[in-house]
Amino acid sequence: MPLKLILQLSVRNLFRYPRRNGLLLLAIAFALAGATLTNAMMRGWQYDMLDRAVENLVGHVKVQASEYRDDPNMQHSFTLPKNYQPEISGVAVAGWALRIKVPAVVLSERQSRGVQLVGIDPDREGISFFADLSISGENLSGVEDGRIVLGQELARQLQTSVGRKVVVLTQGADGKNRERGFRIAGLFDSGAESLEKAFAFTGLAAAQNYLGDPQQLGDQKLVTEISVLLADESQRQEAVDSLGSAFPDKLVADWRTLQPQAAEMFAMADVAIYIIFVLMMGGLAFGLVNTLIAAVMERVRELGMLRAIGMPRRVVLVQVVVESMLIMTAGIVLGLAAGVLLVWALADGIDLSAFAEGIDAFGMSTLLIPVLSTNDLVMFSGLSLLLGFVASVFPALRAVRITPLMAMNR
Amino acid sequence: MSENQNQTPVVRCRDVSRTYQKDSIPVHALRSVDLDVHAGEFVSLAGPSGSGKSTLLNIIGGLDEFDGGSVQVDGVELGGLSPTALSALRLEKIGFVFQAYNLLPVLTAQENVEFILQLQGVDKQQRRERAAQALDNLGLGELGERRPGELSGGQQQRVAIARAIVTQPVLLVADEPTANLDSATTEELLVLMSRLNAEQGMTIVTATHDPMVMSHAGRQVHLLDGRIDRDG
Repeated sequence: MPLKLILQLSVRNLFRYPRRNGLLLLAIAFALAGATLTNAMMRGWQYDMLDRAVENLVGHVKVQASEYRDDPNMQHSFTLPKNYQPEISGVAVAGWALRIKVPAVVLSERQSRGVQLVGIDPDREGISFFADLSISGENLSGVEDGRIVLGQELARQLQTSVGRKVVVLTQGADGKNRERGFRIAGLFDSGAESLEKAFAFTGLAAAQNYLGDPQQLGDQKLVTEISVLLADESQRQEAVDSLGSAFPDKLVADWRTLQPQAAEMFAMADVAIYIIFVLMMGGLAFGLVNTLIAAVMERVRELGMLRAIGMPRRVVLVQVVVESMLIMTAGIVLGLAAGVLLVWALADGIDLSAFAEGIDAFGMSTLLIPVLSTNDLVMFSGLSLLLGFVASVFPALRAVRITPLMAMNR
Repeated sequence: MSENQNQTPVVRCRDVSRTYQKDSIPVHALRSVDLDVHAGEFVSLAGPSGSGKSTLLNIIGGLDEFDGGSVQVDGVELGGLSPTALSALRLEKIGFVFQAYNLLPVLTAQENVEFILQLQGVDKQQRRERAAQALDNLGLGELGERRPGELSGGQQQRVAIARAIVTQPVLLVADEPTANLDSATTEELLVLMSRLNAEQGMTIVTATHDPMVMSHAGRQVHLLDGRIDRDG
């Protein structure tokens, strides 16, 4: 097969009809650029959703008492050595935190609301949304801080403010009700009302003293969860396995198990990306087939002559396919470059604050930052080439059916 | 009988017939044609339109099928050959010159001539030399880098001849090679073909209406209603 000859002819044939092929090239590039940008926005939304799910006090992997998921209260807490820190072999850990998280009722002089009371080490909460909160008043100073930080929306509903006291009612590790007054250190603004209504934070040690029995605990730490953020999310299964060995009697689960709805949305976004790409490029395929057929029909005489002088049919077939693949390749390069530039131009994010309420319901941030994935770009290139190949088969078969006599009779 | 005529003919047609359907009516393009063309002959197939000369030429060139009889080119029976085998035979044994030149417009003259050698798998160096030599022999040595659109009709047809003979085929088939040329260019081209025939012993079969072509051919075969009417 004279591949060099085929390539030479194909390249020159592309320049033979510059306007038509130029338009086709632009159409391919436009579709690819659009697909790349749409994909980057979808990925941005997807990863934002993941970040929100993970930062929503979940982490990539979490260790909890086995019964805690079905009945989250202090009776399903567990103890850890004083200087405990998670060891996960072969997996890079970005951060970790110990927490007490229990359902509670917060009462002000006027209102009461159900919340999740969360005992935290503020210095370790870089792995959750807590680190990004804007706090009016004061933040918690450390694990011993016995004050409370509420969400602004919760404070509004409770009709309370910084410096005032609220009463927190919940169940202790012994199963008995506990009730204690907490002074409000600060109010956090997360940009999402759902978070501001859901959580109330206090120091981890203060929560331990409030909910556990300090004399029984001694030097040990009482927690309801260990939350771990990995440097690479894809290593979550290794982390689950490693922590599972360290805590054989505990439930060790990744974020997909802990947040199944978010996991499903994440998987759905993957499917949506493929569907959008196939729809965009599928429409283009018809244009490609049409253009290639026109190119073949305009060259019946020439193709017939090539057959007459002895060019084998397979060479004619390969030549048409190569022409299609060449124009597709040029379109891919141009389209991906334009798409990457567009994504780069929008790298600071797209402000969606005008739709803040609806977006909050989807668990998204109001700033959508497009995310480029090398894997997606490789997949787009591969699928586009496959499409170029498939689109060329019909025109190529028509070219092969041209006989020298047909050419001469034209 | 000449020495050539003692040898196996380059083209041997026996009892060849060809019928095709036109608007569901059978048209007998060839009826029981016998024809031998020996090495070194310059044969012109002549006759009025519809006489069957182009059909016979196409069958000899392996471009058209025949219904009955036998056609051999260089000892190879064409009947029953697959399209692939026919392609290979045309590539290796037959050179074609068409009425409309049919050069590839995206290639230069040199590349058009090299092209067929590339199909044959000839290496680059040899390709270059043989194509340049063929063009040079036809007086086109200076025009190798020009594309067909930059050449006159006569020059294009000479490039087409160079492409046809560069593979050193056993047979040169020319279908109305002068139909698009003026008389001066026609004469020039015919002198060239006669020279190829005389000096290199190239066997040429051409179909034509043109009396000038007939006058240069050493043998005229006249067809009428699908039969050979006169030979000689």
